[in-house]
Amino acid sequence: MQEKKKKGNLLVRFLGNEKYQFLTIPLFAILISLLVGAVVLLLLGKNPLDAYVNLLQGSGILPKAKYAGGKSMLTDFFSFMDCWTPMIFASLSVAVALKTGLFNIGVSGQMLAAGFITTITVGYSTLSAPIAKPLVILVAAVVGALVGGLIGFLKYRFNINEVVSSIMLNYIIEYVVGFFINTRYVNPISRQSQTVSSEARLTLSGTKIGDLKFDIPLGIILAVIVVIIVKYIFDRTVLGYELKAVGSNQKASRYAGIPVGKNMILAMMISGLLAGLAGASYYLGYYASIQPKVLSSTGFDAIAVAILGHSNPVGILGSSFLINIISKGSTYMSSSLGVDAEIASVITGLILLFAACDMYIRYRVDKAKENLDKKSERRESHE
Amino acid sequence: MADYIVEMRHITKRFPGIVANKDVTIQIKKGEIYAILGENGAGKSTLMSMLFGMYEPDEGEIYIRGKKEIISSPRYATQLNIGMVHQHFKLVSNYTIAENIIMGIEPVKKALGIFPYVDIKGANEKIARLSRQYGLEVDPKKVISDINVSVQQRVEILKMLYREAEILIFDEPTALLTPQEIEFLLKIIKGLRDGGKTIILITHKLEEIKKVADRCAILRRGELIDVLDVQSTSTKEMASKMVGREVSFTLDKTPAKFRDVVLDVKNLTVTNEDKFQVVKNVSFSVHGGEIFAIAGVSGNGQVEIADAIAGLMKAHSGQILLNGKDITEYSIRKRTLEGIAYIPEDRQTYGLILDFTLEDNLALKNYFKEPFSRKGILNKKEFETYGEKLIQAYDVRSGQGNRTQVRSMSGGNQQKAIIAREIQQDTPLLIFVQPTRGLDIGAIENIHKQILAERDKGKAILLISLELDEIMNLADTIGVIYNGQIQKIADASTLTTKEVGQFMMGVKNENDKDGREVKD
Amino acid sequence: MNNVIIDGLSFALPLFIMAIGGIYSERSGVTNLALEGLQGFGAFTGALVAYMLMQFTSVDSSAVYYVALLFAMIGGMIFSLLHALLCVRFKANQVISGVVINILAMALTAFLTKVINRSVFGTPSDKFDLGVSARWTVPGLSKIPVLGAVFTNIYPFEVVILVLAFVAWYLLYKTRFGLHVRACGDNPHAVDAAGIDVAKVRVKAVMMSGALSGLAGISFAYSISAKFSSSIYVGYGYLAIAGLIFGNWKILPTLGACLLFGFAKSGGYQIVQNLGLPSSYSDLIMILPYVATLLLLMLFSKHNQAPRALGEIYDKGKR
Repeated sequence: MQEKKKKGNLLVRFLGNEKYQFLTIPLFAILISLLVGAVVLLLLGKNPLDAYVNLLQGSGILPKAKYAGGKSMLTDFFSFMDCWTPMIFASLSVAVALKTGLFNIGVSGQMLAAGFITTITVGYSTLSAPIAKPLVILVAAVVGALVGGLIGFLKYRFNINEVVSSIMLNYIIEYVVGFFINTRYVNPISRQSQTVSSEARLTLSGTKIGDLKFDIPLGIILAVIVVIIVKYIFDRTVLGYELKAVGSNQKASRYAGIPVGKNMILAMMISGLLAGLAGASYYLGYYASIQPKVLSSTGFDAIAVAILGHSNPVGILGSSFLINIISKGSTYMSSSLGVDAEIASVITGLILLFAACDMYIRYRVDKAKENLDKKSERRESHE
Repeated sequence: MADYIVEMRHITKRFPGIVANKDVTIQIKKGEIYAILGENGAGKSTLMSMLFGMYEPDEGEIYIRGKKEIISSPRYATQLNIGMVHQHFKLVSNYTIAENIIMGIEPVKKALGIFPYVDIKGANEKIARLSRQYGLEVDPKKVISDINVSVQQRVEILKMLYREAEILIFDEPTALLTPQEIEFLLKIIKGLRDGGKTIILITHKLEEIKKVADRCAILRRGELIDVLDVQSTSTKEMASKMVGREVSFTLDKTPAKFRDVVLDVKNLTVTNEDKFQVVKNVSFSVHGGEIFAIAGVSGNGQVEIADAIAGLMKAHSGQILLNGKDITEYSIRKRTLEGIAYIPEDRQTYGLILDFTLEDNLALKNYFKEPFSRKGILNKKEFETYGEKLIQAYDVRSGQGNRTQVRSMSGGNQQKAIIAREIQQDTPLLIFVQPTRGLDIGAIENIHKQILAERDKGKAILLISLELDEIMNLADTIGVIYNGQIQKIADASTLTTKEVGQFMMGVKNENDKDGREVKD
Repeated sequence: MNNVIIDGLSFALPLFIMAIGGIYSERSGVTNLALEGLQGFGAFTGALVAYMLMQFTSVDSSAVYYVALLFAMIGGMIFSLLHALLCVRFKANQVISGVVINILAMALTAFLTKVINRSVFGTPSDKFDLGVSARWTVPGLSKIPVLGAVFTNIYPFEVVILVLAFVAWYLLYKTRFGLHVRACGDNPHAVDAAGIDVAKVRVKAVMMSGALSGLAGISFAYSISAKFSSSIYVGYGYLAIAGLIFGNWKILPTLGACLLFGFAKSGGYQIVQNLGLPSSYSDLIMILPYVATLLLLMLFSKHNQAPRALGEIYDKGKR
C-alpha cells in the first residue's frame, strides 16, 4: 500500500513538472493508449508485446526474423521514411492552422486536389527529372494553398465554420477527382489512376545499392527543412507573431491593429500549401498513382499527430514518427500475428482520445500535486 | 443565539495562491440590513457565495436560524429561503422575464391530462401580481435583451421574491445604476426590510451604507476587521478601516491648461451589428491638456464612441478628426500610428493576449516597427530590453518578470501593463475606458495620478467611466450620454453629481433652460 | 418526379432527426461535430443486433427491424457519453473532441465488424448485410397526383422519425427540460444560480443527440446502403450540422434545410438517369448536397445567431 502510494507520488511529481509537461503528458497519453491496446490484444488472445515488436519490425527499427531478396532492415526503414514524409507535411499543415485558432480537417482533401492536379500536369508529362521534380513541388504547393485559402476566405467573408466547409470540400474534391480518374485517367487493371513518370516522382523507387533495393524518399529532406522553416516563422517573424496573436485572441489582435481576416486567410493558405506538399509526397512519392473516391487517412491521422506534438514543429517530428510506426508497422503485424490491421487505427484513435484529454490530465495532476504539497506541509508542521 | 438568522463561524476559504477568507465570523439578526464593506478582492463576494451555496468553505460552519447547515448548492440555499442578486446578473438573454424568474421551479400543467408542459400563462399572471405588490413594475412577457440594466435588476429581485426568499443578498447592486436609480433601489431595500426580510448588502460605497444599513462588517484581505454600528460611526472611520490607513478623498489636481484641439468628433453616428443606431449624431472636441469625460449608464453608447474613434467600430456617418486630419476611414493600425492610445474596457478580452508573455504583450503595438523587427524578422533582444524598461518604470509585478504568462498575473498588474504600453506610445490622444474597474483603492489612486500627469504633459484625454465619482474627480469637461445621444456638455465645475445623474437618465434636457425635470 | 420525392424524403428525414440531435446538443452549449461518428456507431450497434437476431433466431424480420432501430439509438447514446464526458466533465476542446470521436468511431466499428464477423459468424467480412427494409404505401392517399408520392414506398423509419421529431420539438420548446437546455446554451451561470445542474442538462442533451444520430445511422443502413460497413461514413453527419446551422439552430427551419439537401440529391440522380449518362456521372451528382450546403452557408451564415454560450466550457468557479 505504502509502496503504491509512493509510486503514485512519483508519477504526480513526474507529470507535475511544468517545464516538461509538453513532453511528459503526451507520453503519458501514449502510454495509456498502448496499455488499452494491449488489453484489446490480450482479449483477442494475442501477445501484445509481440504485436508492438512487430510494429517496430515492420517499420525497419527492429530486425525481422528473415527478409525477402533485396530487402533488409535498412530498406524497411527507407520505406518507413517514405511513408513518414507526407505525414510530417500533413501534421505541420494541421499545426499551422491550429496555432492560428483554425481547425483544418480538410488536409486529406487538399492533399488529393494537389496530388491530382500535379499528377495530370507534371506527372503525365515528359519533362526530365531536374525540371519535373521541382515543378511537382511547386504545382502541389500552389494548388494546396489555393484550396486552403478558399476555406480561409469562406470563413472570413461569409463566417462559415472552417470545419464544415473543409469537410464539404473534402467530399466535393473526392468525388470530382474520382469522376475524372474513372472517366479519363484510369488504369483498367489496377483501377487506380495511371502511374506517374519516374522523372516526376519524388521517391526514387527500387534504387539498387549493392544487393538491396531502396525506395529513397527525396521529400524527407524537404520535410526536415520545412519543419525548421515553420518553427522559425512562429518563433522569430512578424508573421508568426501575428498568426499566434490571432490564434490566441482575435479581439485583442484586432484591437492591436492586426488584420485578422488577412491573417486567417494567410494561415489557411500556408496550411493548404503544406497539405499540398503532403499530397505531392504521398501521391507522387510514396505512391505513384491515385485510388479514386478514397481520401487518405494521413490527413486525419495528422490531427492526432499535431495535437500530440502540441502544434510544435519539433514535437511533430517526434509524434509523427510514433504514429507512423503504428500505421506503417500494422501491415507486418497483421500478417505475422494474424490480427486485423484495423487495430492500428483503433490505437491511433485512442492516442488521439487521451491526447484530447490533456487539459484534464494536467488539471488532475495539478490537483494531486496540490494535495501532495499540502500533505507534506502538514507533515513538516507536525515535526 | 436564536436571535441570529444567519451565523457564519470561523469561515476560511482558499483558492489556488490566495486565501479569500480567513477565519471570518459574522452574525446577522433577522430583519436588519447588514452591510459587508471591503475593497475589491477583500473577499466579500466569496463569503456570500458560500452562504448561497456556490462554494463550500474549507473550514468553519454556517448556521441558519440556529441550525447548522451544509449549503452545498444554490438549490439548497433557495430551500433555506436565501436569495442572491449577483453583481453580474444571471439572466438568460433570449428568454422572457417570466421564463427567467420561474427557471428551476417552473409551474407545470398537463395537456390532455398526460403531457406535461410549462405553464407560462399562469407564471405571467403571478409575476405581474408580485411585481405590483413590491413596487417593482415589469412586463413579464418582455425579453431580457430588450430591457435596461435597472429593469434587469428588478427581475433579479423578483426572482428571489418568487422563491419566497427571507434572506436577501445584494452583491454590489448599485454599480451600474444612476444616482436616481440608486435612490429607488435603496428605498425598495428598506421596504423589504420593513416587510420583515433580512438584507445583506455587499458594497464598497460608504454613502449607501450610511443611508440604509443598520450594521456593517468590514473585510480587508479576507479577514474580518470589525463590525460597526452604522449610526454611531463616521464614514471616514469606516473608510480607514476598510483600506487600512488614512485615506484622503481628494486628489491633487491643478487647473487645466487647454491647448489646441486634438480630437474633434463631428456628427458621429455608429450602428451595431443589428443595424441599430447606438451612437446618434454625437459631436464634441477634446483639447490637449484636457480631460474630457463621458458619463452615462452602461450600454448607452459610450464604449461605441471610443471604439469608433479607435477604429474597432465603423462610423456610419460623421467625421473624426485627429489634429485636424480626417481619420474616419483609417484602419485601426493607421490610427494607432497617427496618434491614438486606447485603454479598452475589457482588459482580458481586448487589452491583452493572455497566453502571450508579458514582454510580447508590452510590444503588442510596436512589434512591427524598427527596432522591434526588421524586414519581417523579430528582434527578440529589443522585446526584452523594452519589456524590462516598462516593468521597471510602471512597477508591473509578476512571477517571472518578462517571461510571465500574462494570464497568471493579477488584474491590477494586467491593467498596469496595458497602461504602461499605451502611455509609452506617447500619442497626443489617450482614451481610457473604465480604467479602474475592479481595482483596489491603492491601484485606483495610482492610475488617477498617471492620468492627471499625462494631461499635464499636454495630452488630450478621453475618459469614459461608469463611476460617477471618478468622473467628478478627474474631468475638466463632462459630456453626459443617454441613449446614444450627448445630453449635455459642460465645464465640470459647473455640474453637480445630481445634475449629471439626471442627464444620465435622460430626464433633464438641454432645452429646459431652468433645469426643470421632465417626466419620461 | 415521384422518385425524386420518395428518395428525397428517405434521405432528408434521417438527416433531419440527426440535425435535431445536434440542435439539442448545441442549444445546450456543447458543439457537436461528433454526429458523424455517433450515427456510425449507432448504425453499427443496431446492425450487429439485427444481424445476430437474423443469424441465430427465427424472429420475424419486421420485429428485427424495430429492435435494430431501438439498439441503434441505445448504441449512439452510449457512444455519445464519450463526447459528454470529454466536453462536460474533462472540459476538453469541443471541436477536437468531436473530431476525435468521429475518427475513433470509424476505426472501432471497422475493427469490431471484422473481428465479430470472423469470431462470431465465422465469415471473413467487413460488413453486416441487412437488406433494404420493407416499404409501405398508404392506400388512397398515394393516389393523389404529385403529393401522393409522399405516401408511397415509405420506409417505416420515416414514420418513426416524424413521430420522434414531434416529440423532440415538444420537449425542447414546451417542457421544463427544454427550457433548461436552451438556457444552458445562452447563459449557464443563470441556470446554475437557479439551482439546476448545468452538467447534467448538457450530458442529457448530448445523449439525446447520440440517440437521434443512431436512429439516423441505422436508417441509412436500412435504405441507401442496405448494410452496415465503413461506407456509412460519407459525411452525412456533417451535412446534418450544416443543416442545423442553416436552420439557425431551430427545428422547423432545419427541416426545410434537410428537405432541400434531400431533393437536391434525388433530383440530381433523376437528371443523370433521364439524360442516360453513364454511372460514373452519378459521382458528380453526389457532390450536389455538399455544393448546396456551401452555397447556402455563404448566404446565411452571416446572419445566423449561434447559441451564445456555444462551445464555451462552463466552469462553476469562474465568475
